Amino acid sequence: MSNEGSPKTARRITRLSAVNNENVVESSKTCNFKPLTINDLVYGNQTMSLDELISSFPGRRAQIIELISLLGPLNSAMFPIFVYGGSSTGKTSIILNIFRHLRRPFVYSSCITCYSPRLLFESILNQLMLHRKSESNGYSSAKRCEKPSDFVNSLREALSTVIGNLNGNVEKAGSKKAAGQQPKGKVVYLIFDNLDLVRGWDKSSNILPLLFNLHDVLRMTEVGLIFISNSSPDMYYADTGFIEPFPVYFPDYSEDDLRQILMKNQVNTNLYSSFLDVVLRPFCRITRRADELSTALLPLFKKYCEPLGDLGAIPNEEMKRKLFGHLQKHIAPSLNDTFRVSSELTSGGLLSKDNNKRKGTTKKLGANESSDEIEFYISTSAKYLLISAFLASRNPATLDASLFDSTGGLDNRKRKRKSSGKSLEQKETAEQELLMKGPGTFPLERLVAIFQCLTSVAEYSPDEEGQENSGGIGESGNSGLMSGVLLQLSSLCNSNFITKGGSCPLEGSTRYRSNIPEDMALKVARSLKFPLSKYLYRR
Amino acid sequence: MGLKNPAEEAVALLRSRLCNSNFIFTLFSDSPDSNYSKLKYIISSSVTEACNNSVLLLGPRGCGKIAVLELVLEDLLKEFPNMISVIKLNGLLHSDDNCALKEISKQLCLEHELLFSKLASSDDNSQFMIAMLRECGLAHKTVIFVLDEFDLFAQGKQRLLYSLLDAMQSVTSQAVVIGVSCRLDADQLLEKRVRSRFSHRKLLFLPLLREDMQRILEHCLLLPTDSGLPHEYVADFNSKLLNILADKKFKEIIDTLFNTDSTFNHLLRFLFSAVCNMNMKPGFLSLENFKAALSSIQRQPKLECLKDCSILELYILVCMKRLEVREQEVCNFNSIMEEYKSIHDSFQTSDYYARTVCRRAFEHLLQRELISFLDNRGHGQSIEFRPVKLLISWHELHQGLKSYRSCPAILYKLVEREG
Repeated sequence: MSNEGSPKTARRITRLSAVNNENVVESSKTCNFKPLTINDLVYGNQTMSLDELISSFPGRRAQIIELISLLGPLNSAMFPIFVYGGSSTGKTSIILNIFRHLRRPFVYSSCITCYSPRLLFESILNQLMLHRKSESNGYSSAKRCEKPSDFVNSLREALSTVIGNLNGNVEKAGSKKAAGQQPKGKVVYLIFDNLDLVRGWDKSSNILPLLFNLHDVLRMTEVGLIFISNSSPDMYYADTGFIEPFPVYFPDYSEDDLRQILMKNQVNTNLYSSFLDVVLRPFCRITRRADELSTALLPLFKKYCEPLGDLGAIPNEEMKRKLFGHLQKHIAPSLNDTFRVSSELTSGGLLSKDNNKRKGTTKKLGANESSDEIEFYISTSAKYLLISAFLASRNPATLDASLFDSTGGLDNRKRKRKSSGKSLEQKETAEQELLMKGPGTFPLERLVAIFQCLTSVAEYSPDEEGQENSGGIGESGNSGLMSGVLLQLSSLCNSNFITKGGSCPLEGSTRYRSNIPEDMALKVARSLKFPLSKYLYRR
Repeated sequence: MGLKNPAEEAVALLRSRLCNSNFIFTLFSDSPDSNYSKLKYIISSSVTEACNNSVLLLGPRGCGKIAVLELVLEDLLKEFPNMISVIKLNGLLHSDDNCALKEISKQLCLEHELLFSKLASSDDNSQFMIAMLRECGLAHKTVIFVLDEFDLFAQGKQRLLYSLLDAMQSVTSQAVVIGVSCRLDADQLLEKRVRSRFSHRKLLFLPLLREDMQRILEHCLLLPTDSGLPHEYVADFNSKLLNILADKKFKEIIDTLFNTDSTFNHLLRFLFSAVCNMNMKPGFLSLENFKAALSSIQRQPKLECLKDCSILELYILVCMKRLEVREQEVCNFNSIMEEYKSIHDSFQTSDYYARTVCRRAFEHLLQRELISFLDNRGHGQSIEFRPVKLLISWHELHQGLKSYRSCPAILYKLVEREG
């Protein structure tokens, strides 16, 4: 990903990994890390000048200057700062790099990795107490701390020792000049990233007011608090409210900023800028997120370069026109599958609240749209199971008996077709209902029954794949088939083709739901040569 | 350190003043009818007369309840050395009774140089507290309990409040309980047995008055002449500042600030921002600094968010608004897509994208919190079927589209029509 904007690449380098990288060479020889010192509370090795900082984040000049002025000169007190803005606008990386520029000590903890209050508290304390989890201490934290009251007490202690050490440093630095590595000033900053996730925690009604009031609870002027969040301050409600931190807004990049970001790290800037002239505007109508754009534009740029022999060439007007003519027909279709590629790459970061449960669905639904082949391999019996689940979700349970006769004969099945005006109306409301409610749920028994019907109709048994006429579909095959089904079902559930819902309050059994769209079910059926449409109840 | 820029030093001074909320309230300590004097009278009388007392400090957030209390306690600790010990609890941290008792005995131990045992049970701690109260009463020492976020202590069984107030009923003890809360009905939250033991003294803290504004501004921003700063610089700075304060435009800025939120804290944050914006080269505050501060403190997150949306996302919002106006009972992604298609069919817009693309835009909107799911149930279901609702009003949407730089005319028309 050569054309990726620096906000994303820089984000990957958390301070923790930066610290670890320094020690990689060392750790290959001996397995011991250097004990952490107070100098490890600053970010990165080399300093960064303000100009470098501003030029490495195009379109963020105003925010950088505002943040630096809010942090103020050395050792000055500050109000808590609340940095907010959409994702991939460079909040985290800019803050971290500002601290790299200022060389002030800070503690960074992200609420993504610290997903519970205890982990958050312990991560902050570990960093402040210069404690590193290792084999020798059994990967335990410096202090076990679950309750907010314990946290505040320990935090106060830890902060005062750190501030004491920093004070000592300041005095020493006055005497000798070797202060390149040392943190500057005696104010420690606590950075809380991804604060919006805290709202989804169990005890969020306790933790959020605590974090926002931490400044007043601690009452230490040598501590600065910085919150980073995706959602704006008005989305944090609390019963009795809290003192609002000082807001700093990171707007989404404008088209010009995006151009600058995408132009970074390009080999042939002239060529790429003429490419962006053509492409950027239509794509900006869909999304203005730098990360999504860079992945979407990558294949398109390859297309753009296809007619070119020499990639280093500087395009003139005529060539530009020719290249544009070549690309024009690709733009519109690629707009429409912009997210087919990126859905697999970025859906992980989306909708983080209950992301885990939905991630697989997003992937799957985005993944198979247009091609005729199914893009993954599953066994034949799993395909049948998938189809049966699909049917169980779509067809009303009352019609099962008429659709799947016990003898399994297709000829016995008679479908009534009504075409009066009233039934048309009904059909419309039923369609509406399907759109609004989605696929229905079904118990395991029904799924297995349908599965058995289908497999017997297709004269198929999972034990005897390929030997169609051996006639062994008797009672003996059934037990083996059943155990296979349960295994297959659990793996289909894991891959999110079928979701396991909560248990039904009346029956008490687990209910399932099939998530696949109709065209995909048809595709699977086609690969089996199975007449799915015959069994699908059309209202 | 003599080479330091005086402007930088001045900024550091001003910032430390503004961030320490006690500073602003020292202004009110001399007037006889201020909360400061009242509170000081209540506490000092119970110290001198050796009696028990309880009082509630009520008022909205950011009006200086804790700041005034701290100033009072600071003064009293100087006035009556060795006669007062202060125990501070916070409802956010110690709303759990056992935890609160533990913290009380910990602080008592610290205060009286005793050894605190972490293993002590909550019963031990409670007995220890009562014994300590008696001992302190016999030694004519007043224990002051400060309960910040008092309303949170009133959750649950209120065992702590009961045992504390009950212990104070005896003649020997000598304690003051000060509850601090931003809920004006905090005393109504108490159980009957607790309420009857509570003396219903309340001090109400109000947001700042317009008349005091000039005094406060001068108090906060004027540089002192007796600090280490060069005299000419201080004189220059102060005269320029007084000019600004007298300016008509500045008064307008203060009025707009005052109209939205008139708490002390809001003013402090405004001044903090102005001081941060100060240009170091001339080193003086200017009217522009205050203007910039006002705009950075008064944000409209929803409108900002709308400005960030892509055009496709705006389409989806408009579709949702149309569905909402039509009073369809629930709306989900599928119904939005139908509306989107119908708009496209009737107006032949140039922005018609595939379903996956729209779905991604829909997810962006969810992430921006311009729309949200109606319920938290149905995790198993895919996003398309879950009902959603719009979190912005028609007015905001209209305003947002109006200020959007290149909003398609058709969208604007559609919204206008719905209004």
